[in-house]
Amino acid sequence: MSKLYNENLKAEIFGAIKNLIEDKSKDVTDDTKLIGDENLLDSMKLVELCLFLEDKAEDLGFEFDWTSEAAMSKSRSMFKTAGSLVNEFIDQMKRK
Amino acid sequence: MIIVTGASKGLGRAISDRLISKKIQVFGLARNVNNIPFPSMTCDVSSYENVKKVSRVLKKKGVIVEGLINAAGIASMNLAVTTPPSVSQNIVNINLLGTIYCCQLIAPLMLRNKTGTIINFSTIAVALGLKGESIYAASKAGVEGFTRSFAREMTDFNINVNCIAPGPIDTDLLKGISVAQIKKIVSQQIIPKQFTPDSISDLVELLLDKRSNSLSGQILHVGGV
Repeated sequence: MSKLYNENLKAEIFGAIKNLIEDKSKDVTDDTKLIGDENLLDSMKLVELCLFLEDKAEDLGFEFDWTSEAAMSKSRSMFKTAGSLVNEFIDQMKRK
Repeated sequence: MIIVTGASKGLGRAISDRLISKKIQVFGLARNVNNIPFPSMTCDVSSYENVKKVSRVLKKKGVIVEGLINAAGIASMNLAVTTPPSVSQNIVNINLLGTIYCCQLIAPLMLRNKTGTIINFSTIAVALGLKGESIYAASKAGVEGFTRSFAREMTDFNINVNCIAPGPIDTDLLKGISVAQIKKIVSQQIIPKQFTPDSISDLVELLLDKRSNSLSGQILHVGGV
């Protein structure tokens, strides 16, 4: 998978996150927290993001597992930041 | 389409037959589907992978899932101190984890449409704390707790989650319970009468009806406790 391909994928996922957040003036970066104290997404938006990623994965020919162990760990949760979510998505894509 | 677990016999089968008689499409899940005369698939609900496979198939077929009825369950009447660990594990795996797995993996098919109904099954043994049913009651108490919390998680998506808790209904689950024991349990209900699978099917129909959309996270005791 080329670096450019991954960057495009990342931009697409960040775009999806931005579409879901209320405050459109906020930029989505690698460090943007999705869950936790300064969370950007409520539970409903988080599930909607998961559904988007599930569809995207299907387009790319793999199954995105949002119930993986990586979703559970508080310190390493895939949902901790926008960057960690993109990394997990790309990791699962590579393992397909 | 309504997904019914435990669809080969007992309450699951009675509910399926009722819905089909009302021209509602049913997709049955059971460990053995040989005698199921409507669309079905083999599934052991205590296996996360089995349930996931069902979810994949339904998604691939583009099935619009409108409801999930978690009727699969087992019972084993015994004192807790004389129950082998394998039996305890089996009861919890099928009754509690089976319900959780089906909710976790089938609900996402409803989330997209932002509508749906989930019906879980508990038992009067929870409310009455019946002697000789402690492990069974524990597994079903788990289902009740899960139902209440899961209902809150699903409400943003317009999915209602409720739980029916029947008293002794005449199905295979009552094997091994004497008539006297059944009478004693029934006498503790507010309506001291043994209800039938038909009464449960009535309640299922009611919960699937849009007119019951004000109910979620509720435990409905058949016969009252």
